[in-house]
Amino acid sequence: MTGALSPAVAQVTAIEASLFVFVVLTALATAFARDVLAAVIVFGAYSLGMAALYTFYRAPDVAMTEAAISAGVTTVLLLLTLAKTTRIDHEAVFESLNYPAAGAAGLLFAGLAITMVDVPAVGSPDAPVWSNPDVTQWYLAETYAETGVENTVMAVLAAFRGFDTFGEAVVVFAAGIAALIVLRREVFA
Amino acid sequence: MSDAPDVDAGGRDDEGGGRDDGDGGDDDRSGSAEPPRRTGRLDSETRQGTPYTESQVIMSTVKVVSPFAFTYGLFVTFHGGGSPGGGFQGGAIMAAVVFMIAFAFGIEATRQWLANTVVVALAVGGTLAFAAIGLIPVALGGAFLQYDLLPLPILDPVKYGMEAVEIVGIAAIVSGVLMGLFFVLARGFNGDDSGASVGEGGPFADGEPPEDGDGVATDGGER
Repeated sequence: MTGALSPAVAQVTAIEASLFVFVVLTALATAFARDVLAAVIVFGAYSLGMAALYTFYRAPDVAMTEAAISAGVTTVLLLLTLAKTTRIDHEAVFESLNYPAAGAAGLLFAGLAITMVDVPAVGSPDAPVWSNPDVTQWYLAETYAETGVENTVMAVLAAFRGFDTFGEAVVVFAAGIAALIVLRREVFA
Repeated sequence: MSDAPDVDAGGRDDEGGGRDDGDGGDDDRSGSAEPPRRTGRLDSETRQGTPYTESQVIMSTVKVVSPFAFTYGLFVTFHGGGSPGGGFQGGAIMAAVVFMIAFAFGIEATRQWLANTVVVALAVGGTLAFAAIGLIPVALGGAFLQYDLLPLPILDPVKYGMEAVEIVGIAAIVSGVLMGLFFVLARGFNGDDSGASVGEGGPFADGEPPEDGDGVATDGGER
């Protein structure tokens, strides 16, 4: 570790560190598992780890969404898809390394890792979200007076950016319709 | 793998053609009440169109857990203004409760218990309710979703307008659409909308090359 990183590293608690290790290991296992069923299950574990990590970084709304949608619903839908198709039995546990894919992933990882140097530490006063108080602090300070709810995230979603949320809700609705069209059905149940 | 080579050959043959052609050309396949057991399935049998194993442990667990999980989903939805969460998260949790029940008691049974009308009413009604809440202020001369123009006499129109959007709108849409995706994925690729269809999932059933080709190696042995 370089000297510049050591203060940030020193702040990482044991629980966070183990969550990081868990998330990285499950992500690698998802990528390399030979069996699709194993990959789906490990992917669910990865999402659960990410949800715990979001909770640690004080984003409970995101954590709930990650846990409910990614760890729960997506895993179930993927399992259902597997059940409707076929699953091949493999002797090998792990996929053999695909060198072009690994090279592309490695390049992407390197590119992202370069930017990590400039990302401010968690809770740093230099972070853009704090260094622009005219915008961000206004929402934190005025949300209750303006809307009457305490959850700023919900106030932004439902009130300040309500039109965007309406578009997103219609997208979710359209996803259901699209599934019906793709599967050539007229009823869900 | 090769317990029923006739059926497997038929299933392989009609890969190129439509569903009806395949069934017409293969008597064994259409005549048998249940498709033969195939290895490689997640579960033993496709009795309900989807694999299902009745398990006392899972059913008992789901019976105990689901009321709490559903209540938690309601709490997350209705208390979204004062604590983390909201309609999206709560709707997803409530839909996940339905998934849980379906896994414990069978998807087909859950499908019959939770009629298509409920799923569609949630998704469509949520979208319409969100649009209506947004358009009422427009009708009264304001902007889209201008909550303070909502005609709520006693309650704070901004707060309860947002809650209505979250609860009646987003939670209903998300839970309805997720349940719908679940059921429609469980049913598979099939134009038949009667309740009793078993296993003949059209192109999905036809397109199972690793299993179906196994019985007759010359026909479609892909592995």
